[in-house]
Amino acid sequence: MELFVQQLVNGLSLGALYALIAVGYTVVYGIIQLINFAHGEIFMIGAFGALTTWLLLGSASSNTSVWLLPVMLIGGILAAVAVALLMERFAYRPLRNAPRLAPLITAIGVSIFLQEAVRLFYGDIPGFPDAKLAIPFPQIDVVTGPAVVIGGVVIQRAAIFTLLALTVSAVCLFIFVNRTRLGRAMQATSQDPDTARLMGINVDRIIMVAFVLGAALAAVAGLAHGLRYTNIDFRMGFLAGLKAFTAAVLGGIGNIAGAVVGGLVLGVVEAMVTTYIPGQFGGSAWKDVWAFVILILVLVFRPQGLLGARVVDRA
Amino acid sequence: MRRIPRLVTPAQQERFHRPGQIVAAVGGLLLTVTPFLPWAFDSAALDDMTVYGYPSPLQLMALLLGVVMLALLAVGEWLRPGRRVRIAWNRGAKAAGTGALVFVAVILAAVALELGGLVNVTPGGWLALLGALAAFVGTRLIVGGPPPAVERAKVPGWAGILVIAAVMAVVLFGSAYALNQDDGGTFVAFLSFLGAVIAVLFRTGGMGLITVIARAHRKVLILSAFVVAFLFPFTQNGSDANMSIATQVLIFAATAMGLNIVVGLAGLLDLGYIAFLGAGAFTAAILSSSAFSTVSWHPPFIVVVLVSGTVAATLGLIIGTPTLRVSGDYLAIVTLAFGEIFRISMNNLDGTNGPNLTHGTNGIPGIPDLEILGFNFGDTHTVFGITLGRFSNYFFLLLFVVAVIILIFVRLNNSRIGRGWVAIREDEKAAEAMGVNVFGLKIFAFACGAFLAGVAGSVKAHADISVTPDQYVFLESAFLLAAIVLGGMGTVLGVLVGATLLKLMPEKLRFVSDYRLLIFGLLLVLMMRFRPEGLVPNERRQLEFHEEDTELAARIEEELEETGAMKEATR
Repeated sequence: MELFVQQLVNGLSLGALYALIAVGYTVVYGIIQLINFAHGEIFMIGAFGALTTWLLLGSASSNTSVWLLPVMLIGGILAAVAVALLMERFAYRPLRNAPRLAPLITAIGVSIFLQEAVRLFYGDIPGFPDAKLAIPFPQIDVVTGPAVVIGGVVIQRAAIFTLLALTVSAVCLFIFVNRTRLGRAMQATSQDPDTARLMGINVDRIIMVAFVLGAALAAVAGLAHGLRYTNIDFRMGFLAGLKAFTAAVLGGIGNIAGAVVGGLVLGVVEAMVTTYIPGQFGGSAWKDVWAFVILILVLVFRPQGLLGARVVDRA
Repeated sequence: MRRIPRLVTPAQQERFHRPGQIVAAVGGLLLTVTPFLPWAFDSAALDDMTVYGYPSPLQLMALLLGVVMLALLAVGEWLRPGRRVRIAWNRGAKAAGTGALVFVAVILAAVALELGGLVNVTPGGWLALLGALAAFVGTRLIVGGPPPAVERAKVPGWAGILVIAAVMAVVLFGSAYALNQDDGGTFVAFLSFLGAVIAVLFRTGGMGLITVIARAHRKVLILSAFVVAFLFPFTQNGSDANMSIATQVLIFAATAMGLNIVVGLAGLLDLGYIAFLGAGAFTAAILSSSAFSTVSWHPPFIVVVLVSGTVAATLGLIIGTPTLRVSGDYLAIVTLAFGEIFRISMNNLDGTNGPNLTHGTNGIPGIPDLEILGFNFGDTHTVFGITLGRFSNYFFLLLFVVAVIILIFVRLNNSRIGRGWVAIREDEKAAEAMGVNVFGLKIFAFACGAFLAGVAGSVKAHADISVTPDQYVFLESAFLLAAIVLGGMGTVLGVLVGATLLKLMPEKLRFVSDYRLLIFGLLLVLMMRFRPEGLVPNERRQLEFHEEDTELAARIEEELEETGAMKEATR
């Protein structure tokens, strides 16, 4: 039982990370039906943005006090949002009416380009570490440090931070989508872009908002990832992005609540699989394989996802 | 279509036509004379440009560009364009002038980079640049005249075959020359020369003429293309180094051609295609008589090929069946996930994390050379006094594999199945309404592509000697996709060009190897933005990307009607 609760906690905190990234896939897909492959790289840029902020502000005095955390968060979000907006403007927008294959291929190109740009040029900035290898991420007081133990269950502080970040983000997101003018405009656009345009909604702006929203949450996830795994590297976005997409599909792509639920479920399943699958195919070596097997199973049995996709197949 | 920006307005061209001709002629003369002067102070730069009187190969190319431009100018001046068939001589001269400027500039830049500074360029080099500049300015000033019209040209049969033979000979010696250049600067300079020649051919209408000839003598063309490819190892004087690269290019091309069926014809985006190649390679490695093989059944190679293909196709079916029912976007991501599953599984099947099948990250080394009908692929053979090494043998085998894949590709494309694929690609719902078996055809495309990749993989395993999981990562899939996008989706020639460029560039341009992926990512984005149909586009495909181009639409419709009428007549 203790093991089960332990794995549940581990899974939830891992799932919170996936959920934060998955929202980005889902909002963008909900509006322009584009799988933004490069979203995993936005997550990576977010982490590097946070790291950069710390390098500029805290590294000289190896300052790790907790007030740096919000500053790093803002730094990460700014970097991620800026890159996401540039990407939307220069790579995706010109292809708005192209055949569906074109933006997908562009997305792969953008993804590789961003990875390589960070790998090659991050270390060239004076005073910055070489990004060709993993870079240690600063461990901030309060949110990292000795784990909290409750009744035999060990909970890492970074995990608590991640879950907290997800809760706050989810509440903010909910309020934004349902209570604000912009959020309702976004919903309208995702239901029917043409009619939304007729109703006076600036669809281009809504698309930008979707990218900004996804990027901001991905940056939060990037910071949480850095705190949790204590280092970051230019490749971190690939697998995380793939998993987050799985989570988005699991919850029902286009459905924001679904992305959150899907992320948490995927995280828990991954943690459970590691412990409870007996024999040679269990254990952490196979957990990624199981996650993708789930993706395929979902597509077979429930392609609309757990909570149902808001977007009906418009292929 | 995007127009080349105009530097000089037509009115100015009318006014300055004669002076332009004179300036260009002076430039052309300078270009023909300066190659006999040295261009660099040190013989280490490019291909020794320090000798008086004897132009180096690169200098000869500059001379050739100059002569071609002068000839085009002269013909354009004295020959009035015909009404029915028209060659745009002056337009060709313009392209030659621009090409010459780019070519000479590249050479001087390479000299400066390799020797450290422009001080290493001799007055001869500067004079050549001056000539190229004059050629460029002069040709910009002349009147281009009407565009070429060669569609109705009648070329006598013997002349057509002669042209094909000439083109093929140029291709053979050009590729042999390019492959033998170990110096990055020389390679880039040669590429820019090639670009200039191709531009001249396009602008004059020569390319159109070649297309007309190719259409008339299709069989001769294909046969001669394979003869050229077959002769290629004989140009290498027994050296196996370039043949190793050529073998890699062919493996890559064969795989890309298989992916082209999936992406180019059926329009399904497969991002884990390399996993099928890997499945084939691992199957072949495990069934080979390598000391590290983990099963005791070692059938002859022909059986191995079929088993490898079947294993890959089965995996394709397992992945494809659930995903092809839902929207196409899912396929992209599921195949991507499948690629990861494959890589992780191959890493894990090492005996500690799972059953021992692949020896994990070490993979299976020591795969023996093939032996078919007593012919050992590891031996060197001497034919007509030319030694053919190990890689030459694999080159011939792969040539055969590529030929078979191309044959399958072309036959499928021209069949009911191929037309079904085009229909699905262009509008899935409309195709379904017309009675096309959408799901069946999609799954067939997917499995067929996987099978061909498996076959290619089985040869790759033997050619490479060892198979490891880290050869089959996502980036390789992306590279394959890029070869197709670069060359032109759904075309044979385009994919061959794309695969060759993508595989050859990193081999020859070591100095960019660190920036290879960066350039490559950018290339994908820019291609999709500015030329989504690729370098050698399929017209029907081009229309999909440029729906507003009514002229193109009308031409394609006319062609379709023509072929339809021809079929009607033969029935």
